[in-house]
Amino acid sequence: MWLKAWSESRARFLAIALTLSALCAFAVLFEPYFRQHQVPIALRQREGSYTEYIYNLIYSGTAKGVYALLVIFLGLGGLQRERANRTAGFTLALPVSRLRVVGNQIAVGTIELAALALVPAILIPSLSAFSARSYPLSVALHFSVRWFFCGLVIFAASFLLSVVTPGEYTAPVVCYLALVLHTFVAAWHPLAGYRLNLMWIMGEFQTMHWNAAHSLLQPPPLSWPRMSVMAFFALLLLSAAIRVTDKQDF
Amino acid sequence: MMLFYKAWLESRTRFLLGLLVIAGLSTVFVFYNHDVRTVVTDHDVSYGEYIWRGIFKGQLRDIYVILTLLLGWGGLDRERTHGTAGHTLALPVSRWRLIAARGLTGIVETAALAILPASLIPALSPFIHESYPWLLALQFGALWTVGGILIFAIGFLASVLFAGEYSAAIAAIALLFGYSITTDLPGIEHYLVDIHDVMNGSGPHGFTTLAAISITAAATIWLAGYITARRDY
Repeated sequence: MWLKAWSESRARFLAIALTLSALCAFAVLFEPYFRQHQVPIALRQREGSYTEYIYNLIYSGTAKGVYALLVIFLGLGGLQRERANRTAGFTLALPVSRLRVVGNQIAVGTIELAALALVPAILIPSLSAFSARSYPLSVALHFSVRWFFCGLVIFAASFLLSVVTPGEYTAPVVCYLALVLHTFVAAWHPLAGYRLNLMWIMGEFQTMHWNAAHSLLQPPPLSWPRMSVMAFFALLLLSAAIRVTDKQDF
Repeated sequence: MMLFYKAWLESRTRFLLGLLVIAGLSTVFVFYNHDVRTVVTDHDVSYGEYIWRGIFKGQLRDIYVILTLLLGWGGLDRERTHGTAGHTLALPVSRWRLIAARGLTGIVETAALAILPASLIPALSPFIHESYPWLLALQFGALWTVGGILIFAIGFLASVLFAGEYSAAIAAIALLFGYSITTDLPGIEHYLVDIHDVMNGSGPHGFTTLAAISITAAATIWLAGYITARRDY
């Protein structure tokens, strides 16, 4: 069942990993070129430090948006999709429960999600050293944790939507629109103080600060209660997806 | 006519969802402009500038770009996965006609999504004692339509090139981001128009530029048709 779940999602996972890797490599290896030629995407960082440049381009910029957008596709699973492909009957004929089928998809997806969240943490510090720069691994890992938990919520929402909505493209479209709309809801005055915007949480929006020497842009300590709440919320969505799958008539 | 109906049935959910969201957000942007203004800009701006920053250049344009990309998905590769490609290919029409029907339906839907905020903003603004020029809004509608058709064509081509499940969607998004970054590189701007700047009116948007973008979009759709016509299903 693990191999089945991996075979179904590996093309998506590898494509997303490749896209993220390309973005990270591009940002690090072309950094001198960007600054020297005043490339618009790096204009804001022309005078700033290297850590600020990486933060604005990767952790709070394009790479973050790409990750959030593409994680939606990683979450698409369940048996509804197989019904459209007319393979649901074969899967349901396997001598395993639906819980195991869907559970394996979720488990494999979560591992892939963690691997994707780690891509910048592996590439940015190592490639920075390669180009005679340095980026702290601790900061990179801090963002990986944030990306993982926020990605988990998006993954879970996408998974649930792919279970409850018919049509191949309805789930990703609805999930993308929900991702956009939640930023407006989070900005609504009564909710604004709770900082519910996933994109803000992923990018530590307005919470980054400089070290004493003003050389390193660093995040505040990781808020584990907030991460736990997000994991719990994702778990709720996934439980709902499992329950719906269990009750569905194929 | 039935081919257009088929293409419409395949894409209508995505289109109608997009229509609903663009209409809803345009209305929110106008009626809740005092609340949303703080999300869109960090300083006090005029109503006209706020509309440009939030809608024609900002968040709503980003949503439109992704929605038009989504409209490009589908085609015979998708049908092959579902086991219906044989039925479609058995129809007494050429593959070129299938592609043309899907392409034209997508173009009309892309244009409809572009025109929607351009008509809603000037129409709704008087309700909150503001005004937005119809001519300016419709100019943005036209720019969105031309840019949107090229983005639709990218999604359309990706749906033909990448056969795996959702691979076309991921590839199309990666291609779009790659293109957006590439157009910002020095020297490239002489050879490659930044479609995002064209759409928000800050880039070149003369007749020649718009014609070049339209021809590129048509060529991209033609390439998708050429590949489809020669592929073995």
